Amino acid sequence: MTDLSLTRAGVDRDRVLRLLQEYGVYAGVVVLLLFNFAFTAHFASAENFRTQAVQVAPVLIVALGMALAIGTEGVDLSVGSVMALATSLLSLYLGYGPWLAVVVAVVGGIVVGLANGALVAFVGVQPIVATLALMVGARGLALVLLPQLKDVRDPGLASLGSGDALGIPYLVLIAATLALLVAFVVRRTAFGRQLLAVGDSRPAARLAGLPVRRVLIVVYVCSGALAAIAGVLATARLTASDPTSLGSLMELSAITAVVVGGTPLSGGRVRIGGTVAGAVLIQLLTTTLIKHDLPPSWTQIAQAVVIVGAVYAARERGKR
Amino acid sequence: MKHLAPQRRARARTLLTAGLVTSLALMAGCAKSEDDSGGDKDASRSAESGQVVASPSGGSGPTCGIDAYGGKKLDLKSATVGFSQSEKEANPFRIAETASLKAEAGKRGVKLLTANAQSQFSKQISDVQDLIAKGADLLVIAPLNSDGWEPVLRSAAAKHIPIVTVDRKINATACKDYVSFIGSDFVEQGRRAADRMIEATGGKGEIAILLGAAGNNVTTERTKGFEDRVKEKAPGLKIVFRQTGDFAREKGQSVTENLIQSKPGIKGIYAENDEMGLGAVNALKGAGKKPGDVKIVTIDGTRNAVQGIVDGWIDGVIESNPRFGPLAFQTLNSFTQGQKVAQDIVIQDSAYTKDNAKADLGKAY
Repeated sequence: MTDLSLTRAGVDRDRVLRLLQEYGVYAGVVVLLLFNFAFTAHFASAENFRTQAVQVAPVLIVALGMALAIGTEGVDLSVGSVMALATSLLSLYLGYGPWLAVVVAVVGGIVVGLANGALVAFVGVQPIVATLALMVGARGLALVLLPQLKDVRDPGLASLGSGDALGIPYLVLIAATLALLVAFVVRRTAFGRQLLAVGDSRPAARLAGLPVRRVLIVVYVCSGALAAIAGVLATARLTASDPTSLGSLMELSAITAVVVGGTPLSGGRVRIGGTVAGAVLIQLLTTTLIKHDLPPSWTQIAQAVVIVGAVYAARERGKR
Repeated sequence: MKHLAPQRRARARTLLTAGLVTSLALMAGCAKSEDDSGGDKDASRSAESGQVVASPSGGSGPTCGIDAYGGKKLDLKSATVGFSQSEKEANPFRIAETASLKAEAGKRGVKLLTANAQSQFSKQISDVQDLIAKGADLLVIAPLNSDGWEPVLRSAAAKHIPIVTVDRKINATACKDYVSFIGSDFVEQGRRAADRMIEATGGKGEIAILLGAAGNNVTTERTKGFEDRVKEKAPGLKIVFRQTGDFAREKGQSVTENLIQSKPGIKGIYAENDEMGLGAVNALKGAGKKPGDVKIVTIDGTRNAVQGIVDGWIDGVIESNPRFGPLAFQTLNSFTQGQKVAQDIVIQDSAYTKDNAKADLGKAY
């Protein structure tokens, strides 16, 4: 009798833990929202949600690419620098009109992604080292191209940063579209399956005849392109190109969003919904602390607590 | 088949490399940026305002002479001066500072060696040691940190090399380890910003501070001066919000967006540098506010911020003058000729308001 109840308690605990791992990030978002509705003045306004959504958009877009890289048991540390490179290129080519400048900026991101992918897939460098090299290199290149902050006066870009369609800011629309697109690719396409297989076990994927190299290169190219798009959007919002500070520590925010969202660092699994929620969670956390005017150091500590919690959940998952 | 696979791989690799190289070349090749108002900028830049000493030189403060410091007289014209810059020349302040020293060296015909520590303190230490090894007779240092200078000071003292530090101080004994410090009084800048804010808001209402990067003496001193002066002169002015914007425009913008939503009644924003102030302007524009709805006071005096005053968004800019060249060389010149120089040379920073912004736009850096 006692034995029976004990095992049942054990099963329940397992289930609770698993639920927490699966849905903890959503619960976190809900808790923070409820807290803010109750205790933060002027929180429940359309204007506020608009601001939060606009602020989270660039991080979210970068995190989508990061989720793909982490899904292949890799990581892309160069995303912040790619944003800086994109903003430099954007500013340099704006003379040809905004469209071409945006294309050049995204191509810059793709080129960095190609270099990352080639290092990982062909040379066999560890992703963390390969992308670290590009992180340093791309930031350096960005600063060579544009040594200091430069204002962007192009009206097209300015409206991209602050305009909206049907009341929804362009930034949010773009981020949502990209999130849906990436989720579709991961879930419903052959490439998505291959990506997860490569992340699960690269040797097994190779033995099964999957194009491992191609998959890896495409993943890093996607991550680079997404980071470049985020850089373009952040530039449009700021109406200035600032390669020194744009995207600094962005790689950490993106990794945090992905990990908090329940994507394991060991690869083989990508949770796009969780990644979106993870990015929103971090944004809400920062906002809550700012709105209550708590010392900035608290924000960092609070983020650390969330990360440790997420990593704890990941550890349990690994044991299972 | 066996043969083909490696061949194909090699070809793929060559293609990749070729692609990377050509795209890089393309990137740098045919860039065309937005309208470059460069010509008119350079023209007005020549009207640069040198620094003026605020503290009475020679008179009351402690001074330093060549006998007390050790070393021998020399002629500045035939000497080599080493300049160690602390941060990347990516922000207007650092650019103007280095340019000013180079221009003054050129004007006086002095040989100037420069080094940039790229915001890494260990690099700055080795930079200065390199400068000494390369034969610098005199040193001008813009220190990144205040502490940790012992090894450099020891090697400089062994060769009796006079050192002048600019914009930040080092924790060492004046006239023994270094000759003089030339710089702004950051606490005073904070006080003057507070005066501007009190005037702009009428001394009543709620205001916010956008702090600089944490753990930086510029941040703490500009905050202290501002808060003390507000407490003392305008008790009706309440500081209800203090958040860091890390001296960056983007962070200043996102923090201000949150600020104006959670505290819609905010009357003024004190930004501890121009960049964060410009971010705040962006946020206010985005929220549909009009120029002057929220009073903004910033510190530094960059061209963009002064333009912000002309446009009506910014109420006042307290200048932090980066043009150390003339004063640094003048100090070194008097010192090496055997005259006494002041140990602390505090420069006079001017200010920009509605009244002079348009006329003095050329003076902004």
